[in-house]
Amino acid sequence: MLSYGLVSGHPGVFFEDLAVGQEFTSPGRTVTEADIVIFAGLSGDYNVLHTDAEHMKASIFGERIAHGLLGLSIEQGLASRGEPAAAHGVLSGLKWKFKGPIKIGDTVHVRSRIAAKKDGPEASRGLVTVDRQLVNQLGEIVQEGETEHVVERRPG
Amino acid sequence: MRDTPVATVQCYFEDVELDVPLETPGITLTRAHVALFTGITGEAAPQEPDTVPSLLPLSLSSGLGWRVPRPPLAVLAFMGFEWRFLAPLRVGDTIHSVSRTLTKRNMRDGGVVIEERKIVNQRHETVQAGKLTLLVARRPAA
Repeated sequence: MLSYGLVSGHPGVFFEDLAVGQEFTSPGRTVTEADIVIFAGLSGDYNVLHTDAEHMKASIFGERIAHGLLGLSIEQGLASRGEPAAAHGVLSGLKWKFKGPIKIGDTVHVRSRIAAKKDGPEASRGLVTVDRQLVNQLGEIVQEGETEHVVERRPG
Repeated sequence: MRDTPVATVQCYFEDVELDVPLETPGITLTRAHVALFTGITGEAAPQEPDTVPSLLPLSLSSGLGWRVPRPPLAVLAFMGFEWRFLAPLRVGDTIHSVSRTLTKRNMRDGGVVIEERKIVNQRHETVQAGKLTLLVARRPAA
């Protein structure tokens, strides 16, 4: 079983240490053509939106765009570098909107805020809801939503 | 624009049928999948070895959706989704997805389709499930 409070670099952060209203900002990351090619290969999603530069020249985007789920996956990684480990521990659910394209060369970062805390199904864990926004270099929100996490309570 | 078709045949908004279950082939989750995925996301590798990152099965299910006996859906945009992670997956598990269209409605630029999708493991347990909202192209005028 995963130790929810100790998933990565901020050991010892528990449900009790998170407060509604706390805000975090992640580092940035530039999304590259290689990211899209690897994600297409891994997922098997070769939709022309992500793989056919010539076709996309004539689209409203004008060029290939990142898979929505690639953006979300990058968002998860960035958030894990910007929030205490407990706040991104184990996902139990999410509600997510893809609002705009991520193009090759765009640089994105994550803004997040602890939105709610409540009891979990087990006494040893709580549920934390985090509002997250994936923002590009122009300040546009390209994806946003809420993620729900199972977080360990402090032992004892 | 280059004058070649995107796909020989595509499933357009008009072709989408409600409530018809679509089951994909399976895929076995491997350490290679986990390594590639954590490489892309930049998330720390799971502390427990052979744990599968939460979003990897969903990402794989989007590719599995291309391997069914139906032309690919002419998706213009993935608009959003709601998703529940019900049970953990481990390397060695084999997943497939089962989906059906719940609703469809006309929009200016195409049609919006709400799809219910479940990810099922080799023991027929639903491990992840939710609803996806997709913008699908209308059939081009002949």
